[in-house]
Amino acid sequence: MHITRIEIRNFRSIRHLIVDFGETTIFVGPNNAGKTAILDALRIALTRRWGRRGTGFNEYDIHLPNDAVDPKTSSGVIIDLRTEESEPGEWPAAILEDLADIVQVDISSTNRRSVALRTRYAWSEEAGDFEPSWEFLDAKRQPLVGRSARRVNLERFWRYLPVFYLGALRDVGDDFSPRSQFWGRLLKALEIPAGLESRALRVLDLLNRRLLKADTRLRKIAKTLSGATRISARDREGGLDLRMVPLKMWDLISRAEVILRNEPDSPWLPLRRQGQGIQSLSIIFLFQAFVDHVLRELYEPDSEPVLALEEPETHLHPQAARTLWRHVRALPGQKIVTTHSPYFVQHVPFRDLRLVRLTPNGTEVRSLPASFSASIPPLDGLEAVVANSTGRLSYERLSQTLTVHGALEEQLYRRLLRCCGHHERRSDLVKTLKNLRDRSSRFIEDDALRSLETCARRMRGEIFFAERWLMVEGQADYLIVHALAHAMRYNLDEHGVSVIDAQNNGSPATFAMLARALGIPWLGVFDDDDGGREHIRSIQNRGFDAAELARRCRTHPDGDLEAQLVADGLEPELRETLAALNVSVGQDEGELLHRLRSHKTAYAAALAARLRGDLDLAQRAPEAFQAAIEQLRGLT
Amino acid sequence: MDSALETSLRELTDIQRQAVKWEDGPLLVLAGPGSGKTRVLTCRIARLLESTREQRFRILALTFTNKAAHEMANRVTRFAPGLEGRADINTFHGFCAQVLRQHGVHLGIKPNFAIYSRTSDRQAVLADALRRNPRRFGRNDQHLLPVIDALKARLVGPGQVTPRIARRNGASPHETNRVVRAYRLYEDELHRTNALDFNSLILKAYELFGYPAMAQHYQTVYRYWLVDEFQDTNGAQYTLLRRMAGEDFHQLFAVADDDQTIYEWNGANVHRIRKLVDDFSCRVVQLPTNFRCPPHIVEAANRLVVYNARRAAWKQPAQPSPHAHRGKIERRVFETDEKEMAGIAAEIACLDDVARAQTAILARTRALLESMREALDAAGVSATILIRRDDFASPEMRWLVTCLKQIARPLDQRNMATLVETFGSFAALPLDFNELTSRAAADGVTLMSVWTHTAREAQLPSPAAEVVSAVSSLAAGDTKLSPTVREILGHFENHDPHDDLKDDLCAWRRIEREVRAVNGFASLDRLLQELEMRSKEPVPVPGTVSLATIHGAKGLEFDTVYLIGMAEEILPSWHSLRKQNGSAALEEERRGCFVAITRTKRRLILSRARQYKGWPKQPSRFLEEMGFLNDGSDGPSQ
Repeated sequence: MHITRIEIRNFRSIRHLIVDFGETTIFVGPNNAGKTAILDALRIALTRRWGRRGTGFNEYDIHLPNDAVDPKTSSGVIIDLRTEESEPGEWPAAILEDLADIVQVDISSTNRRSVALRTRYAWSEEAGDFEPSWEFLDAKRQPLVGRSARRVNLERFWRYLPVFYLGALRDVGDDFSPRSQFWGRLLKALEIPAGLESRALRVLDLLNRRLLKADTRLRKIAKTLSGATRISARDREGGLDLRMVPLKMWDLISRAEVILRNEPDSPWLPLRRQGQGIQSLSIIFLFQAFVDHVLRELYEPDSEPVLALEEPETHLHPQAARTLWRHVRALPGQKIVTTHSPYFVQHVPFRDLRLVRLTPNGTEVRSLPASFSASIPPLDGLEAVVANSTGRLSYERLSQTLTVHGALEEQLYRRLLRCCGHHERRSDLVKTLKNLRDRSSRFIEDDALRSLETCARRMRGEIFFAERWLMVEGQADYLIVHALAHAMRYNLDEHGVSVIDAQNNGSPATFAMLARALGIPWLGVFDDDDGGREHIRSIQNRGFDAAELARRCRTHPDGDLEAQLVADGLEPELRETLAALNVSVGQDEGELLHRLRSHKTAYAAALAARLRGDLDLAQRAPEAFQAAIEQLRGLT
Repeated sequence: MDSALETSLRELTDIQRQAVKWEDGPLLVLAGPGSGKTRVLTCRIARLLESTREQRFRILALTFTNKAAHEMANRVTRFAPGLEGRADINTFHGFCAQVLRQHGVHLGIKPNFAIYSRTSDRQAVLADALRRNPRRFGRNDQHLLPVIDALKARLVGPGQVTPRIARRNGASPHETNRVVRAYRLYEDELHRTNALDFNSLILKAYELFGYPAMAQHYQTVYRYWLVDEFQDTNGAQYTLLRRMAGEDFHQLFAVADDDQTIYEWNGANVHRIRKLVDDFSCRVVQLPTNFRCPPHIVEAANRLVVYNARRAAWKQPAQPSPHAHRGKIERRVFETDEKEMAGIAAEIACLDDVARAQTAILARTRALLESMREALDAAGVSATILIRRDDFASPEMRWLVTCLKQIARPLDQRNMATLVETFGSFAALPLDFNELTSRAAADGVTLMSVWTHTAREAQLPSPAAEVVSAVSSLAAGDTKLSPTVREILGHFENHDPHDDLKDDLCAWRRIEREVRAVNGFASLDRLLQELEMRSKEPVPVPGTVSLATIHGAKGLEFDTVYLIGMAEEILPSWHSLRKQNGSAALEEERRGCFVAITRTKRRLILSRARQYKGWPKQPSRFLEEMGFLNDGSDGPSQ
């Protein structure tokens, strides 16, 4: 059983948000964008700390559009959580039996079983306080009543989806304490045979006596302390003794600790004496041990843990952060992870990524979905169009949801439009369908993503953390743009700009699509030669209209970068640069260009170094670069 | 020390224990009167639960009355404490309502649907429905309701009505199109008002289980099914059961007594037991020992029932238990029905309270019971007629229910009219319904709020003022359902309630107990659904004599049973005798007599008069069939 979708309304920075989950889902985004809010919404809806007071919510959790709004009048927080079989028969019988009162069966098409839980937190006039409440929903999201509304169903549902949280600030002192969620419960679950226990206690007693005898001062200390029992005198005499070793079995077991050494010859050291990275990592592996050995004993044989994991990469060096992904993915159950590490993200499949961003409309999440949905009533002929779409379309009658898998092709779109016929809400429906087509045009095929996987691995970690992208052709452009921005006092890092040398990392068109799908503002500067024109054409073919293309893409009017630099009058500087590189070149401009092109990176690096400190030189740099850097400020 | 279950298991006979522990697929248990079938059912459920403590599957037990379900649930709780949550013990209708609450969304049914069980409600729905097509339908089309009822009871949807089917269900074939149209309008009206009538509960559940995924889901969740009183299953219920079971479900356990089939008029059928055995390839186990009745009565019942020619040959004759009370059968003959009633009333007047509480007077018809009650009244004996009540008897409680309905469905004008009318019968409030609707429309508020406002201003006496105030704060959402209802009942209770109201208050408490036992806390919608499905009769007052029709006595037992009106054209009824001897109707009358006499634990008195309502009547043929020769030896005339 996995959480497949969460819909959140009015929670902290979130106004309205729908997020789909896979087995592993990775949230990426700047600080304060709302990543933790998503994790918390999930935890609160699934965590059993639900007394009258002290629920997971507090009144500051209610999202308010502005300061003047009274949270009491707000409709409050609403969190809809959905879990659905990926195919009929996925859920074991025990889950269906135990959750029989709340399971919904889709009989219209998929035959999949699902459960939907709604959690609310709003002002209650009756209670005179903010109150949490919950209800299970039917397939049309109406609250289920009667037996389905009994609280026992909630308790049972939670048992199948136990949620565990590992925050960014992991501390072995806490997480390996005898009261901790994993270690403590592992230790408590240990079964020591009674015989062994009594023998161990006898040995401890003996040891204790020996230790007490070892130094005569111990006896005297005990005698002094026993004054305490005399002062709090009772009728019958008490006693006081010293205990050098654990008194009870649990005292002994609870002192268990992990020790390790890095080399065969190094001394054994406790975990808390190890480096921060090892400590942080060991807690993640502790979770695995907990799930493997006691989770199903404590919960149900069919329970699937949900791990909310913040910043697993904490304190790890890049290589370790990169390999960590593999381990996190292999952890049991469902993993929901936030990260700030480009290294960690490097190996995450594109479709598992969720980009979180704070916008004037609250927190938004972008991803690269494989399908797109819209709400469409059961129009005449719709089912037939769906049936003849060879699986490109699917329709869910109850929720009135039309889903297109991949991009909605023009022909199919026209057929759908025809279904609207003379419907009374025709114009609305046409708008909805058009919107669906537009959204689905952002679809990126698996092939394109695969090519990015191979080409762009080095940089893909970084670009998902960027707020704006500037696409250029190659490395020389990359170096010069960086230097130029520095000279123009626009710090690319500070402003979250990633410069992408698209040619070396796949195709600019794929990056443009990625930017559109993920809602990342972007610009491009290309050569005005065959290659550059081809890049722009391929972007255009991906459904960008002329106006947008004109706004985002520029070319060097005089040809490639070298031709442009020469045309911009940088010939003296270029010649000096080549000379410094011991490249001999004649007076012929053609030869100069030739030499520059064959020492592209080297001359660009040297020129970039000069550009950095030379404002006068920067002002003569290619206009297209300067204009693009200017435009990056406030780009949307 | 043994648990209650272990003790009970040990006390079973070998054959009972075999049935309880049966694990080999479909089983039919043929269980005569007093054979301990309820004990077998409850022990079986409890044992299944106990032996699978680690598992989560559920057990479905279907009964024919809420009372039987409640009783069975109580016993299961006692036998398998803590595990009763896995046993779903319900009536067919209750179970279907539950399925529809959870999954009805697929058929466009909202979970908080209203249930209409009363004819008057269905008539009103049809009237509203037909008004939508005034050109085609008029006032006189109310006669279509029984036709629609009959079609639905046979699981025939509007699209499936043919002239032949229409004729079989009481319409003339040329009316077919009208029937279909009216049926459609009626269904639309129910849908529009988010309501289901009683037959819809079965019909819609049947539609839902037409989806294999749904049937399969229930087969997974409910691993064992038990059906009590299978002989009373009608065609629709059986068809539903078959569809739910599909081809693959085998853990069906049915308990039946074909000799106690007395609901053929409601679609039950003695051949259905045979069909069950064939359809499910059931093995059959018989429980012939009658632990309830004295040997004389067991023998009389055996002699009687063999006269039924259509009876299955497989049935072993019942045997008395060696531990049964010796008991006796007495006969009485009176000159007239008045003398019969007066004579029996006089006999009962001599009994003490303890004996009266264990005495029942059974009769074929309600009318006979009413005269009997009058005679008992005249003799100063208090008596309770055990009969299903579809509605509360007092205007006070009827008003309370309409208030709750109005809060749940604020736009229901018809209910509001009843609210105004019922309130008017116990408190004077100068407000008519038309005035109310026009004021609500003018102020743009609900009917209920206009009414409560007016009623609160009217300076009503107690308890009307208090109950109005309580209802209005409930309607405003200021107070919670269950304490408010408790408060209102308290006000009625403390103001010298009349007899009907006392009965109703008592009935309400019983219903509340039953609903709570199944559901814990019930929401308003849920409470209304349950109220609609349950009988509103009060719990019998201790020390009173019970009066019951034969149908009403089913499943009960008493130390002393008077069966009155043992005359031709009374039992068997005049209606059944119009057909030839051996007809199905006469056989059903005979089974009725069988049911009646086998209620007896000790003493059975068979009584008749020589004339009823001035018409001379011969002794009932059943007397002779039971072995009492009609040579005047059935006692001196009184």
